[in-house]
Amino acid sequence: MRVVIAEDAALMREGLIRLLEDRGHQVCAAVADGDALLAAVAEHGPDIAVVDIRMPPTHTDEGLRAALELRRRHPGTGVLVFSQYIETRYAAQLLEGGAAGVGYLLKDRVADVAEFADALVRVAAGGTALDPEVVGQLLGAGRHAHGLAALTPREREVLALMAEGRSNAGIAAALVVSGGAVEKHVASIFGKLGLPPSEGDNRRVLAVLRYLGS
Amino acid sequence: MGTTHPVTPMIALARAALREPFSRRAREELLYCLVGVLVGLAILAVIVALLVPGTARSVARAGAIVAVLLPLTLATGMARRLGAAHRRLAERLLGERIPSPPPLGPGKGLLGLGDGPSWRAVAYTLLKPPIAVAELYAVFLWVDGLANLTYPFWWGLFRNHPPGVRLSPVLVGTPFPGRVFHVGTYPGTFLAFAVGAAMVLAAPWVTRAVVAADRRLLRGLLGPGRLAERVRDLEQTRALAVDDSAALLRQVERDLHDGAQIRLATLAMHLGLAKEKLGDGGDPLDVTGARELVDAAHRSAKDALAELRDLARGIHPPVLDNGLADALATLAVRSAIPVELATDIPARPTPAIETIAYFCAAELLANAAKHSLADRIGLQATGRDGMLLLSVTDDGAGGADPQGSGLSGLAQRVSTVDGRLEIASPPGGPTRVTVELPLRA
Repeated sequence: MRVVIAEDAALMREGLIRLLEDRGHQVCAAVADGDALLAAVAEHGPDIAVVDIRMPPTHTDEGLRAALELRRRHPGTGVLVFSQYIETRYAAQLLEGGAAGVGYLLKDRVADVAEFADALVRVAAGGTALDPEVVGQLLGAGRHAHGLAALTPREREVLALMAEGRSNAGIAAALVVSGGAVEKHVASIFGKLGLPPSEGDNRRVLAVLRYLGS
Repeated sequence: MGTTHPVTPMIALARAALREPFSRRAREELLYCLVGVLVGLAILAVIVALLVPGTARSVARAGAIVAVLLPLTLATGMARRLGAAHRRLAERLLGERIPSPPPLGPGKGLLGLGDGPSWRAVAYTLLKPPIAVAELYAVFLWVDGLANLTYPFWWGLFRNHPPGVRLSPVLVGTPFPGRVFHVGTYPGTFLAFAVGAAMVLAAPWVTRAVVAADRRLLRGLLGPGRLAERVRDLEQTRALAVDDSAALLRQVERDLHDGAQIRLATLAMHLGLAKEKLGDGGDPLDVTGARELVDAAHRSAKDALAELRDLARGIHPPVLDNGLADALATLAVRSAIPVELATDIPARPTPAIETIAYFCAAELLANAAKHSLADRIGLQATGRDGMLLLSVTDDGAGGADPQGSGLSGLAQRVSTVDGRLEIASPPGGPTRVTVELPLRA
């Protein structure tokens, strides 16, 4: 997997490079601001770009804007935005153009190396990776309390993992259950919430998020 | 027995009256009057040169000159500078500290024509010539009185002509300018001496009265002004205080975000990687790699601790809990340039004032260390009369810029509690920054 990193904190940048190279990925470029990111992606055509939200010069949301621009210019490149804070509004902006090849994670997630690397691979392959924090905020908003109340605790766990963008296999691994069990849960959830059954994992993410966010 | 004697208060009064002409205050006020006369003359000369019909040639022309010059004076800030000059004079000669009016805010009308302090400075300048006349009289009392005192002493030297030579009598001045009397004999000089003595005894009190009137005008016209302006002043300082605290919080967030948070995230990542190297998840064991990662994590943890400590100290230095003197001593020890510290703070200021004073001192010391090329720095903190005076002096290169972000930021912070920050830093040095804060805020 070929990766471009945009992160202004040198320490974090070096750490990410190490993490990725350890796992046999190739870091084509590691830059420190949005313009350099766009240039690097145009030059190297990576599978995925890992983008910090807060970067120079304004230290506000230039990373996010660069990420949206990347999505527009290079739809085939996965974009994993990561940041020290989670803003559901940012998540919504990122997902506006579809959930394929989008990730939004808290920086803390690098601590769980395997999961983080897994999320990267997923996004690079056109999947979705949303931080549990985003999903938690949506679930906690309480707008669909009665719909969610109909779910069993296990089904709620599955719903959250679905919303994070995990495949059935991923959910099965996370919950240590069989793939068949997950499939049953998913069907049940879609039935209870009145969601149309969707094919790909991405569509499923959007359907769930739309339900939670509407 | 002497202390209970009924005459004692009278004697005390007489002593005081006799001592008064020799007091330091009398000297200061006399000097102020002398300078005041010159200032009044100068102002008068300018007015006459501009407006007397001979120069201006007609009333209309004089009016035109006023109509052009007055707005110009106000608009260019000249009026405020005049006011500042008057204030400086009073401070230098009388030790009368008059707070300067708040700086010119926006929305003061076209070209500063709505600026109250400017108008009041012009008013004071125009009132100065009449005051100078009174000051001239005070000076006259001194000079003429002292002159009269000398009569008996030189009479014998200059009037020892042979008998029969007829000499015209000598003029003696009185407290009433223009009124004189004549003395023709040696005993007569004692009358001159008596009049002189009376004038010299009265002179300090007359001088004081005149100067008191001038002080009132100075305070009333050149000070910060009345209630409305005080309110505006408070509004401004409140806005500054709110901005200041918001900026501080933003800075704390930024420091956390770019510092400790990043270090902790990296630390977690390194530990995560190390766990994998140690065979977590069934990977082969890689002890060397793991050790390296744990090392990096260890470093990150220590750096994060150091950053958190600095950040906490930046919010509230714990040593301040022991009082400002201790906190300043800590600062002095940490300075790269030797600091001579002198503190005398009998009454403890409120925590907010201590904090502001501490951060001023820290910033000023850091400035001096960075820019001044000084060999030594003097740091003084004195509490008296409800005020805390903090001064930082250095013998360095001078040329500190009061508009620079550091110093203007300090001035803002200080003004939020009605304090003042003054900077004297001529090119070539020395630099002296004085911060004046109320003890309570």
